[in-house]
Amino acid sequence: MMHAIDHHHGAGSPVHRWDPRCKLVSLGALALACAVVTDPFLVPAVLAVAASLVLLSRLPAGFVLARLRRPGAILFCLVVALPLVSGPTVLLELGPVSLYREGTLELFLIAGRFTAVVTLALIAFATAPMHTSITALRALRLPQVLTDMLLLTHRYLQEIDQDLSRMRRSARLRAFAPRRPDRRTLATVGALGGSLLVRSHDRSTRVHRAMLLRGHGNRPPGRHTFRAGTADLAGTAAALTAAAALITLEAW
Amino acid sequence: MHIPDGVLPAGVLVGGYAVTASALWYSLRRINAAEDPASQIPKASMFTAAFVVLTWIHLPVPPTSVHLILNGLLGVVLGWFAFPAIVVGLFLQAVLFGHGGLTVLGVNAAMMGVPALLAHGLFRLCRAGPLARVRPTVSTGLAGFLGGFAGLVAAAGILFALLVTSIPTHLDTAVERAAITGLVIAHVPLGVVEGAVTAVVVLFLLRVRPALLPGPARTQTQGERDHG
Repeated sequence: MMHAIDHHHGAGSPVHRWDPRCKLVSLGALALACAVVTDPFLVPAVLAVAASLVLLSRLPAGFVLARLRRPGAILFCLVVALPLVSGPTVLLELGPVSLYREGTLELFLIAGRFTAVVTLALIAFATAPMHTSITALRALRLPQVLTDMLLLTHRYLQEIDQDLSRMRRSARLRAFAPRRPDRRTLATVGALGGSLLVRSHDRSTRVHRAMLLRGHGNRPPGRHTFRAGTADLAGTAAALTAAAALITLEAW
Repeated sequence: MHIPDGVLPAGVLVGGYAVTASALWYSLRRINAAEDPASQIPKASMFTAAFVVLTWIHLPVPPTSVHLILNGLLGVVLGWFAFPAIVVGLFLQAVLFGHGGLTVLGVNAAMMGVPALLAHGLFRLCRAGPLARVRPTVSTGLAGFLGGFAGLVAAAGILFALLVTSIPTHLDTAVERAAITGLVIAHVPLGVVEGAVTAVVVLFLLRVRPALLPGPARTQTQGERDHG
């Protein structure tokens, strides 16, 4: 169930070597600029930005496509009917079904924005280990409560998933095979959920004690060791210029 | 129940981030005002991870199956930590699994988080109000049901209002309103399932570890008496 997004963080490329703070700000600005595009003529431009960054990051195309497939399927279900219901201008008549121009353009626009934004987010977090990205978010002044929670949640997600898998396997071995949400199903699912929360709470107590023993809270969290050089800043300037250009073209 | 990237217009994305930033700022203020807030972070993080994996459970609701959202339950057990927990959970779901997205993180967090805080308030109110005089199992079960039900139905209301009004379908206002109402009503049975699961989980916690529940209607259980 777990997917290692940062599996390719070791591959050396200019994007991998980019200062993580500069990278997150740049790709975040570009993703937002792509998300607000409403002119279908700008879709090729946003896709070109995403594709060129994929090439620059040297992430395998198969990895990028595999990461796009699942959210793409959800998006497809949500907007597939648009060309059939949206808009007055008929583009094509197929028997009783009409294909509308406005709906088709809207579908093209949504699919383009989606592909560009998801690809940029993927490049941002696939090109560094997750804890480096979270440290960079902390260096960008994200509140400490959030970054601490991000680190701990990410660290324990897999173990808690294994806990739940074990409990579900045990339930199945005791002939739990739900067919409808009846009293027994709800009681078993409720007990599973409650047990998982109690186990997680007990684990958190142990983790907190271990953190205190290691001196957590006695001094401010260690400073990061990121250093932004000229190339990092130039990359960020280029990305921010591209984002500003997209927004200007959109407004124009 | 995540809106993917690319669907919503700029105004809604910015509005979502504005609501999420305000709710987060207020939640963090309340968290930092408490005594030793850092001691609560491991618990809130483990619960966040637990909620992320619990939403992968599918319940059969013929003819299909639904996965749990549990934002009401999350609000009930985490209180002011619910909003940061939802932001962290949605961020990791978007980055690790491709559910939702980062430009829609603000909208999705507001859609799940505001109902979660509502569920927390409802749960506390029910247990402290007129229900406080009835048996703790009845008041807690009912409060849990209402919290889970309200959490899901409110989130579904926000979701469909955003989707129907944001995606340009060239429908008139009356049709849009009817579509939103219809979709929300269709989610009421799911709200009942979500409320029932929330009630069962809070009753389990009341029996096994009542200290994990907020509110005044705490009773000493066999487990607590044994622990002294």
